[in-house]
Amino acid sequence: MTNVKEYLTNVWKALRTTTVGMGITGRYFLQKPITIQYPDERLPIPDRFRGVHYLEQEKCINCLACARACPVDCIEMDAVRHAGNELEWVSFTVDYQKCMFCELCVYPCPKDCIHMGAEFAFAVYDRSELKLDLLSYLGMAPDARVRMKEAEAKKKAKEEAKRKKAEEAAKKKAQEAAEKQAEEGEGEA
Amino acid sequence: MPAHDSSNFLLRLLEWLGLSSWVPGWALILGTALAGVVLLLVIIALVALFSVWMERKVGGHIQCRLGPMYPGGWHGWAQTIADGLKLFQKEDMIPKGADKVLFVLAPALVLASIFGALVAMPLSYDWYFARMDLGIFTILALGSTTTIGVIMSGWASNSKWSLYGAMREAAQVVAYEIPLGLALLCPLMTLGTFSLLEASSLQSGWFGLQWTIFQDPFNIAAFIIFWIAALAETKRAPFDLPEAESELVAGFMTEYSGLRWTFFMMEEYAAMFLMSVVAGVFFFGGFESPATALMRQVELDGTVLYSLVCFGTLVAKGFAGVFLMMWLRWTLPRVRIDQVMTMGYKYLTPLALLCVLLTALWEAARFALFG
Repeated sequence: MTNVKEYLTNVWKALRTTTVGMGITGRYFLQKPITIQYPDERLPIPDRFRGVHYLEQEKCINCLACARACPVDCIEMDAVRHAGNELEWVSFTVDYQKCMFCELCVYPCPKDCIHMGAEFAFAVYDRSELKLDLLSYLGMAPDARVRMKEAEAKKKAKEEAKRKKAEEAAKKKAQEAAEKQAEEGEGEA
Repeated sequence: MPAHDSSNFLLRLLEWLGLSSWVPGWALILGTALAGVVLLLVIIALVALFSVWMERKVGGHIQCRLGPMYPGGWHGWAQTIADGLKLFQKEDMIPKGADKVLFVLAPALVLASIFGALVAMPLSYDWYFARMDLGIFTILALGSTTTIGVIMSGWASNSKWSLYGAMREAAQVVAYEIPLGLALLCPLMTLGTFSLLEASSLQSGWFGLQWTIFQDPFNIAAFIIFWIAALAETKRAPFDLPEAESELVAGFMTEYSGLRWTFFMMEEYAAMFLMSVVAGVFFFGGFESPATALMRQVELDGTVLYSLVCFGTLVAKGFAGVFLMMWLRWTLPRVRIDQVMTMGYKYLTPLALLCVLLTALWEAARFALFG
């Protein structure tokens, strides 16, 4: 009799467990999928996420504070300084082969112009492509160029004024000298 | 088939096209046969195409994924077409040690068996390839011929994985053929017919109350037994031991690639659909639905639209069954071979026998009481 009982229990268990399992999978089937269609839709990136740097080039003063702070020396920058302290940018590169996204370059910046960005997927075909240039424009910004021109003009005007003043002074000196000479000549005569 | 047996709807179609007036009788019959072959191949291909896509979507959603999403635009509907194109371009390889003749023949035999079984499947009340009074016998007999092809492929591959898969298939089919047939006997007794067309028309009525499964409790049990046995017959999880991708690489299909492998896969999905259609016809009313009942009420039966609705009902029931199979597949883990044998011989066979006995008594009692 125990055998019969076991047999029937087994049949019951098989049916019951299958039904329960199908209930679970059925619920999942009707539920909204949790998949995110990655390149088309993305999960929101946290505010303090540390991805590829983002540089506010207009603010940057080429002070090299970030490059000096970098523990792996992956930041390099180059710019030429013109009149009125305006910068002509040549390069601002971060080597992401070395960069460990430690955010140490962000804190020393006096102008608060380098930040950690949100971009994290930047697969490339060659290692050399991992050295990214963060500049949004090369050379000078248009308004910086205007300011530089103004400063140059001012400087020129100043120089001109100085030169004129010097010339006048020289002229005066020469005149005075001539007058003196004439006086002396009169005296002699 | 006699020369002008207009029971075949393809022949009727050719006659309607006006071909019978000038084409000789033998050519007409040949044309009918060819049209039938092409139609059946298209049906198998479409069923496989749709089922594979459905399998991936159902499996995906059961696991809270999405399944294919890109090919074709809308929910990856063209995924299977893309897969098929890929498979079509694959190298056709035959292992060095394989028995070449059997190796090449096996997928063809497998596909041919399901092809033959599908001939017995009517598409609608007046659309059928052959009117068979013993249709269900044909389907069961030809459907299990697949096993010969599978064993052939396993043996001819000359690979241990393939042979294991083939032996499992043989053991499994021998064990489950019995409960499958016995379970089907219950609705057959209730309906009193072997013909799929007749079985369907006997269950006509509003809201499916005339469906065999609602006729007596033993038919419900018979359906469960039939369904488990059908899963084993079609090598579907949890009975996919002949393939068992996590143990046997791909079982009997291990050495196959490209188009030959596609034949096995098409057979699997066509067999799933056929088994679902058989269940639909003998347990769930076949072509009968409220829509067909309504159309008969307004005397629209006999029109092409009525035939189309019947066809649509059967296809819907078939794919509902395929969905149930997929649902089970993504729910249950694979059972061990000894569990398969235990279940087949110790549980399903005696229970199916009991069902047959009780259905017979029920029917006898009904006959005695109500005449």
